Amino acid sequence: MKNLWPILKRIFMYILLTGATLLMSFPLLWMISSSLKTLEETNSPGIIWIPKQVTWDAYINIFQNTNFLRSYFNSIFFVSFALAGTLISIAAVAYAFSRVDWPGRNLVFFLMLSTMMIPPQALIVPQYVFFNKLGWIGTFNPIIIPGYFAGGAAMIFLLKQSMEQIPKEMNEAAIMDGAGHIQIWWEIVLPLVKAPIATVATFLFVGFWNSLLMPLMYLQTVDLYTLPVYITTLYNINQTVQQWPTIMAAAVLTTVPLIIVFFFAQRFILDSVVLSGLKG
Amino acid sequence: MFNNPYFDLIQTAVLTVGFIIFACFALGYLAKWVSKKRGAPSFKQQDVFAGYFFAAPWIVGFLIFVLIPLLFSLYWSFTDYRVTATTPANWVGLENYANLLTKDEGFRASIINTLYLTVIGLPLQMGAALFLAVLLNQKIPGERIFRMGFYLPVILGFNTAVLLVWRLMLNTGTGIINQIIRAATNAIPPLGYVVRAAIYVQEVVTAFFLGLSSGKFNLLNKVIETGFPAANRVPMWVESPLWTKMSVILLMIWGCGAMMLIFLAGLNNIPAELHEAAEVDGASRIKRFFKISLPLLTPYIFYNLVVGLINSLQIFEPIFVLYRDNQPLLSSTISMVYYLWQKSFSHFEIGYGSAISWVILVFILIVTLIQFRLQKRWVNYDLY
Repeated sequence: MKNLWPILKRIFMYILLTGATLLMSFPLLWMISSSLKTLEETNSPGIIWIPKQVTWDAYINIFQNTNFLRSYFNSIFFVSFALAGTLISIAAVAYAFSRVDWPGRNLVFFLMLSTMMIPPQALIVPQYVFFNKLGWIGTFNPIIIPGYFAGGAAMIFLLKQSMEQIPKEMNEAAIMDGAGHIQIWWEIVLPLVKAPIATVATFLFVGFWNSLLMPLMYLQTVDLYTLPVYITTLYNINQTVQQWPTIMAAAVLTTVPLIIVFFFAQRFILDSVVLSGLKG
Repeated sequence: MFNNPYFDLIQTAVLTVGFIIFACFALGYLAKWVSKKRGAPSFKQQDVFAGYFFAAPWIVGFLIFVLIPLLFSLYWSFTDYRVTATTPANWVGLENYANLLTKDEGFRASIINTLYLTVIGLPLQMGAALFLAVLLNQKIPGERIFRMGFYLPVILGFNTAVLLVWRLMLNTGTGIINQIIRAATNAIPPLGYVVRAAIYVQEVVTAFFLGLSSGKFNLLNKVIETGFPAANRVPMWVESPLWTKMSVILLMIWGCGAMMLIFLAGLNNIPAELHEAAEVDGASRIKRFFKISLPLLTPYIFYNLVVGLINSLQIFEPIFVLYRDNQPLLSSTISMVYYLWQKSFSHFEIGYGSAISWVILVFILIVTLIQFRLQKRWVNYDLY
């Protein structure tokens, strides 16, 4: 009996953990299941866990929807351009804060940290007026270009913390050998912080891919919509019957890139947040 | 060719990169020149150049996209500026702020709703996060898979696609959540009383908050008069003003993975010797949690509280997806940011919208400041 107790406890733990995991991923499973149902099945008063007869009609429907395909392309376009520019500029600024000694560094760094307190929404009104003056409403510019100026203080902070881990002597030795700072940044420092960069890239990707408010404000026409904006138009509150299977098929296709990225990046995220999360 | 939006963006992006590189060199050489004038040695000058060169993107971006807009919006908040107006804006002094804080019922409702999410939602979210973190801290094989599973909702989080799944699941009649509740209460009758009691408490509390925001407590009286919910009652998640905020809280709890990771880090930092010593002294597992783990976790609780509060002030996506265009329901759950968006971009009242932004900004600053002030009373930094 004494030997049985730890085993029982362990089994109980596993049941509890599995149950919690199922609960947390239930919306995802339900989304997939619903996308394979017929319209009647999604509105059925009884519980249908898995459709008896799997139909792919919803996917055929959504693939014939040119607006959906267009918004998918728009999302990929938007995310790749925004990600590339933001990532490089963040890596540069993090280098300035961690590897170089310059007068005013502490002041600028303090300013940067205090911008984290400003809710981005407090800026949307004046920024809108500003972009309106530039004639940028109804283009991709307002949702991509600001990122090029190292948008995202938390991400700079995360990368700075990792760059500080590299021994200072590395810089001094490289300068002795006649290397410039740009060379040190690109050829020595960046290759050493690949994992943190992957983390930052993942966070940025997720943020851009999910973003709704900015695209909603600035992409005024349906042919510019990104996925999150377009998908909300599929659900029309004024209709009594929603095309749930089609909406769910679109939802599955929207979440697939997120899940793939998370699957490959989880080892970076789950560790790095644990390491540097609190100091933010 | 020039009307193609993709080509347009690429063109602007190239110009922007050129501008940033120019700004990097300009700022770098300027800083170097200043330090040369001050007579710094040449290796020092090189560092000054590199520092400003690499920091330039952020410095320039801060000026263009943060500081100047903030100052402009501060100015506009004292005017009646509208984007569509042809006449120049008039200086109206504090009128926008006075209207906002005394007359605007929509804004008051949004503050009360935020209060609800903070007072009721945040503790539930942190409790769930702490519970999951303690579960995961057992260091059992396969822990990583569970950790991934708990963190996945943070990634999917507020993507509108996933929010629409919630909309489907929360349907009152045919949604899976209510169907599970019905099936469970039919199978185990005593559970029915628990569910009905929970419904009753939830509705009374929410009706009270709705009364606070409208100033009339008719709904609360009605809920209390109706008495204990009938046997077949289920939550009306997205169909009744009494439940809209609870649906948002459900989503907050679902996305507790980010907080969980923070708690997990905190639990990892607690020295094992403390627990071992207490165990030798015969302290039970529960006693050890409350006497050792919880006090040492307070810095992490504090961090989650600060971040969670700022986040709950900014909730936008769930409300947009679940309740957009649903006029009677929207006001029962509208958040401060949603209200700002609605005011600024449906009527383009830039002056009024600017005033709202500044009130939100000051609100967040005050709340955060209070939290930092109060932390001395309860946060335990013995470990650090």
